[in-house]
Amino acid sequence: MKYRLIGLLLIGIALALSSDAFATPSNLLNVLRQASLIFLSASGLTLVIVGAGLDLSVGANLGLSACFAAAAIKSTGALSLGLVAGLACGTIVGVLNGLMVTKLRLPPFIATYGMLWMLYGVNYWYMKGDTIYGFPAEFRALGSGDLLGIPVPVYLMMVGLLAGGIFTRYTTFGHEIYAIGANVEAARLSGIPVSSRLILLYTLSGAMAGLAGVVYLARLNSAEAGIGTPLLLPAIAAVLIGGTSLFGGSGGLAGTLIGAIVLTLVLNGMNLLGINSNWQPLVTGVIILLAALIDSITRKHAEIRA
Amino acid sequence: MARLARIPGVAFLLVLLGFVFAVVAPGFASLPNVLNIGIQSSTLLLLALPMTFIIMTEGLDLSMGALLGLTGVILASALVAGNNLIVAFAQALGVGLAFGIANGLLVVKMGLPPFVATLGTLGIAQGIALVMTKGESVAGIGPALPRLYASTWLGLPFSIVVAAVMYAVFHFLLYYTRFGNYVFAIGGNREALMLAGVPAGFVHVSVYALAGLMSGFAALLLTGRMNSGHPIAAMGMEFDAIAAVIVGGTERQRGNGWLPGTVLGVLAVGVLRNGLNVMAVQSSLQVASIGLLLIVALLIDSIRRRRQ
Amino acid sequence: MTSHEGKQFPLRGLVLILAVIVLVACGEVKDGSGNKRETIALFTKNQVNPYFQTLRVAAQAAANELNVDLVNYIPTENDSIREQMSQIEDAITKRPSAAVFIPVDSKAMIPGVEKFNAAGIPVVNLTDRADGGEFVSFMGCDDYAVAADTARYLFKKMNGKGNVIIIEGQGGSSNNQKRMGGFKKALEEFPDIKLLASQTGNFQRSVALQVTENLLQAHSQIDGILAANDSMALGVIEALDAANRKALVIGLNGTKEAIDAVKAGKLLATGDCDGFLQGCMGTMGAVRHLRNLPVPKEIIFPITVFDSTNYQGADVPYEQRMCPKWESIVKE
Repeated sequence: MKYRLIGLLLIGIALALSSDAFATPSNLLNVLRQASLIFLSASGLTLVIVGAGLDLSVGANLGLSACFAAAAIKSTGALSLGLVAGLACGTIVGVLNGLMVTKLRLPPFIATYGMLWMLYGVNYWYMKGDTIYGFPAEFRALGSGDLLGIPVPVYLMMVGLLAGGIFTRYTTFGHEIYAIGANVEAARLSGIPVSSRLILLYTLSGAMAGLAGVVYLARLNSAEAGIGTPLLLPAIAAVLIGGTSLFGGSGGLAGTLIGAIVLTLVLNGMNLLGINSNWQPLVTGVIILLAALIDSITRKHAEIRA
Repeated sequence: MARLARIPGVAFLLVLLGFVFAVVAPGFASLPNVLNIGIQSSTLLLLALPMTFIIMTEGLDLSMGALLGLTGVILASALVAGNNLIVAFAQALGVGLAFGIANGLLVVKMGLPPFVATLGTLGIAQGIALVMTKGESVAGIGPALPRLYASTWLGLPFSIVVAAVMYAVFHFLLYYTRFGNYVFAIGGNREALMLAGVPAGFVHVSVYALAGLMSGFAALLLTGRMNSGHPIAAMGMEFDAIAAVIVGGTERQRGNGWLPGTVLGVLAVGVLRNGLNVMAVQSSLQVASIGLLLIVALLIDSIRRRRQ
Repeated sequence: MTSHEGKQFPLRGLVLILAVIVLVACGEVKDGSGNKRETIALFTKNQVNPYFQTLRVAAQAAANELNVDLVNYIPTENDSIREQMSQIEDAITKRPSAAVFIPVDSKAMIPGVEKFNAAGIPVVNLTDRADGGEFVSFMGCDDYAVAADTARYLFKKMNGKGNVIIIEGQGGSSNNQKRMGGFKKALEEFPDIKLLASQTGNFQRSVALQVTENLLQAHSQIDGILAANDSMALGVIEALDAANRKALVIGLNGTKEAIDAVKAGKLLATGDCDGFLQGCMGTMGAVRHLRNLPVPKEIIFPITVFDSTNYQGADVPYEQRMCPKWESIVKE
């Protein structure tokens, strides 16, 4: 983990040296806001991956939740109902994913990939190519507003990080997730109710996607069926750059935050430096590889020393 | 008897879908349409075959779509520059192979998780394709490739023949060679393989190299079909390939691979999409149906497994 | 997979499959035998852009008026070249009377158009010009010209001087190439307009928003922003609002949401040619051709840059609009 932080600092220093606009409080807060959004979408996903699962439906879920939240607010005028609708949609999808993986024994890749398609189908049918837009300022503050100078999503991120940290470190449930991820059979044999824990994990992932959908709605001030499409790969990348292993049993939310910040810095840096957009995927790909290589090398080092 | 148990649920779905579409959708059961399904599925099959090997080794290759875009652009650019088809094709294959080897080395020698390594090379391949073409498609590739693409061999369209031949090659490789034994073993029992040393590592890298090579091969079909090279035309195809492989019965966790299942998986999606189009089903319903197909296919398997 | 199950057929699975079939069959277009109505196959690019929804609604209205069937083909993956190619092949199997075709890519779809030609199905090229293939007619306008006109409008409003940034569309898209070309052309004509940055928003709202936020950090004085489509332009506006900055923003497409933003004074202008009209005329043109009525080889729709003075024309919900008479648009 500390190598990740060093890597992050190095990127930050490099950017600060090459662009005057980078190291300003305004830009750094800007970066934090953007990273918080990725973090929110990827937070539940992180825990699912720790449990050796996978949730490919987070982007689609986010988008559908945003659309339902938008419709709820527009038809009732109540902002809280929007939050409820978005969370409800996200949670229900999460529960369905959990049931598919545990009760129906479907492989997570197929269950959540299939869910992705079904969610988009519902979303396209529901939105009919239109958008739902124009929300009150109090609502938009959730995504684009500040509180005491700090962007609101950053507070949400901090709460999520804190809650997640307490959860994984100090609750039995948290320990159980890591055990399940490390070796599901051993976990089952030691009495952990694997199925219900997994269902809860996927439900969490869905709920966080729903919450993220509401925040994105607030930020964009508009809902359209395609909101979630560009958000899946960055969410997964943030989790992986952060060091959480797809095989389960290791990693965590702190890593995802670092991953989210790294990804955000890449785009921020390229925009600030005015680098031709065609280079963006290349730079992102290289950063992903570098992060993984650092991880791999430091792990080998630790193994040799141990 | 054991054979029937082997057959994944998607096979039954495929037959059922075919039957239902034949009855309900006029024109579906015609020879031209069946050939269309084959043509439309051939590129995906070329990607799904090596993906089967990779998944059997508990890996994934997310870079295949981006790589196909890159090799397609390289093939097209080489043709536009006046090279003959063989030279141009060789360049595409070479680049594909290079990326594939890179993926393999990252996973095997550097120990990167496959998801991460190939996510990285995805960006690099896509980036190179975009920078090379400045974000524009490459047209004017001359008559040689379109003519090859449109050619028929024993009455069958070129792309179907290529897919069939490639299937035969991979089938042979997996079930009749030492190489194939290693592929099974890498997924199943890696520790035992470690003792085998160098050959195992070589096979493991080769599995990714094959994927890169096939991306280059698929460029021939894709570029021929579009009569141009397009940097982002194949984005996301790797997800469809992975889904086809898993739906076809190959399991990530145990190195159990069934190559014929991959063909079934690819065909099932191809038949579904084609049938829904021929029936002119509303687009949002088509999107949902694709997800439903994947889930139902594996649900069938899950239920069958539970019954014993 | 074990060897014991043998011949057991999964009944529960069968029930599920039948459920899928029923679901799918419900969406089937009624294609009764002996049905002599002409069928028009309409190809649009995606399910998410409101511009195409408007166009489809208009085409359906025209089809109803003319007593023909309209069949929609939209890729399940937005703007997918491979899928549109497959949909062309699948549509030909149904033998529509004619096709109205918006190519996902102007070059890559040429073989697709040639498939229509080979099958003897007349095609009307709508909205985006394909760079090859035989068409009954091209009806639309030129993305290059639309971008250039809208950009010129912005630069004039800026009195010919100031700083601008461009939010580009997706790299690899032929639409994007043309629009960037148009923006650049307009820039050449206004030498005192300075281009500070040009970054991609991928035609996506959230990306455009994020990129604009970053560019606002990099440049303290931005007077104008050119976005390559309305979805992005609306994202740009949110970024400006949140950062408490002001700039004149233009978009392209003329979608309802953009028109509302123009009305509200948030968006300076959005330019395009009427999507509703194109939907009508494309369908009408195809049907006229089938009925042996004359159809001009080309109909270039006028480009409108909708700003606060003239948006009223586009401010009618598409449910309330009607297709005009052919003769009022095509003056012989």
